[in-house]
Amino acid sequence: MLEVENINVFYGEAQALSDVSFQVGEGEIVTLVGSNGAGKTTVLNTISGLLTPKSGSIHLNGVRLDRLPAHRIVELGVVQIPEGRRLWPNMTVLENLELGAYIRQARAARKESLRWVFQLFPRLEERKYQLAGTLSGGEQQMLAIARGLLARPKLLMLDEPSLGLAPFLVREVFETIQEINRQGVTILLVEQNVHLALGIARRGYVLETGRIVLSGSGRELLENPHVQKAYLGL
Amino acid sequence: MTLNLAILFVSAVLVAGVYATMSYGLALIFGVMKVINLSHAGAIMLGAYVAYVLIVGLKMNPFIAAVVVVPPLFFLLGILLERVFVRPVRKAPPIASLLLLFGVWLMMQNIAYIIWTGEVRTITTPYTMMRFNLGAVPINVNRLAVFLVGVFTLLALHQFMTRTYLGKAIRATAQDSAAAKLAGINTDQIDMVAFGLGTALAGMAGALTALIYAFDPNFGGSYMLKSFCIVVLGGVESFLGVALGSLILALAETLSVLWIRAGLQDFVSFVILVLALLVMPGGLPELFQRRFAVRQR
Ligand SMILES: Nc1ncnc2c1ncn2[C@@H]1O[C@H](COP(=O)(O)OP(=O)(O)OP(=O)(O)O)[C@@H](O)[C@H]1O
Ligand SMILES: [Mg+2]
Repeated sequence: MLEVENINVFYGEAQALSDVSFQVGEGEIVTLVGSNGAGKTTVLNTISGLLTPKSGSIHLNGVRLDRLPAHRIVELGVVQIPEGRRLWPNMTVLENLELGAYIRQARAARKESLRWVFQLFPRLEERKYQLAGTLSGGEQQMLAIARGLLARPKLLMLDEPSLGLAPFLVREVFETIQEINRQGVTILLVEQNVHLALGIARRGYVLETGRIVLSGSGRELLENPHVQKAYLGL
Repeated sequence: MTLNLAILFVSAVLVAGVYATMSYGLALIFGVMKVINLSHAGAIMLGAYVAYVLIVGLKMNPFIAAVVVVPPLFFLLGILLERVFVRPVRKAPPIASLLLLFGVWLMMQNIAYIIWTGEVRTITTPYTMMRFNLGAVPINVNRLAVFLVGVFTLLALHQFMTRTYLGKAIRATAQDSAAAKLAGINTDQIDMVAFGLGTALAGMAGALTALIYAFDPNFGGSYMLKSFCIVVLGGVESFLGVALGSLILALAETLSVLWIRAGLQDFVSFVILVLALLVMPGGLPELFQRRFAVRQR
């Protein structure tokens, strides 16, 4: 479904990604793990069109994504839930959700999508008219995910959804991600919480200083000695 | 004395309506694009001249000219300015767009000198001298109409910003433009609309102001200063803030005539601007928040 081939991405002179390649298949949960500054967010922002690779290519079902403007990539069904939620703080929960359904095809399905996300996150329905900036951290993460779903994604990319959440909330969020996947949405999950991410992913990639150093099934990576030593503290 | 104060107060409120219109234009562009639009002054000035041509030259009804004809024309002008002067330097440091837009202002002034010379112009309308008495306070019909137009414009804009998809997309872009892009909002288009709307408001404010005051090609500079002052007082994101800021500035200016020469009124806005920047860089909203936070504790 998504094919990233040998992308090289720079911030000014500094190279952040070197020859990064990976694939995400239809219906999969794929995770990209790595420590701080490895380049995970850079990968997602490049796919989303916020950054342009100097070389390499990104295709979605054969359609070339790199060099398309960000809003066109959303229209093609690739939606990112950014690191740190990035909600619109001075808008209500409902307004945030409505704007999640900004693109044309999503707007038509808005009512139905709202029902869907309120079913996934009943707490959001109770807080419809509250300003997003006043939600708790957990609620904000739910809203960020819900807002992404309102765009009716084919491929949903989540950037560290567990960041800053209490352990029981992290489990809840991961369960929701699996539930969303079961309902037919392909998932690309970026995480530092390597244990949990590899636990739910069909396949995974390990990113270190801008390069993919390991790849395999979730199970394989969990058992890999390097992963165990560097990321699982075993 | 109380009568005098009442008269001053009413005249301050009446002038605040048009202040709010022009400041909102500046705030909108800054909020969405983080660009300080120094061509704002030029748009205010050109708005006055276009109104002059329409009303004095073509004998158009003054309010139709200012409200129906000028805003769409200046919306298009704003879009043109954004495409030609702002977009190419969006990725450059902010000083680039600042200087370019300053250049645009100078160009506008020179064009006005060439077309209309430096002569001071006035627009006299059937309403100019009309007045009625509210109790003992005389109210000029022209100024009241200008005030009402300003207030209605802001109310209409408020509806637009809170009820329509496009309005919400503009607010979302102002609050977090990367998040807006990730929601599929074409922020280039939003920038264009914001610059168009901001320029339309400036043009309209200029046309309305020209119905009250005399103007020449330098007209606009002091109004831009006032707009900066109001935006600093009121913050860029809140209608209420802009309205309050306008009222405070208008009151301060009007009351200042009790102590200083009328010609020094611009000095008042400058002093308020400096004080506001020093004492409360986040404007009134921050001040309220701070007091609220203290009370909560
Ligand atoms: N806007 C930027 N300008 C310059 N360098 C940047 C910028 N953003 C990221 N970088 C650099 O690029 C590298 C990769 O950053 P990135 O944010 O992609 O890492 P990450 O894996 O998402 O890290 P984290 O887990 O901390 O979010 C880092 O060295 C970072 O300092
Ligand atoms: Mg990151």
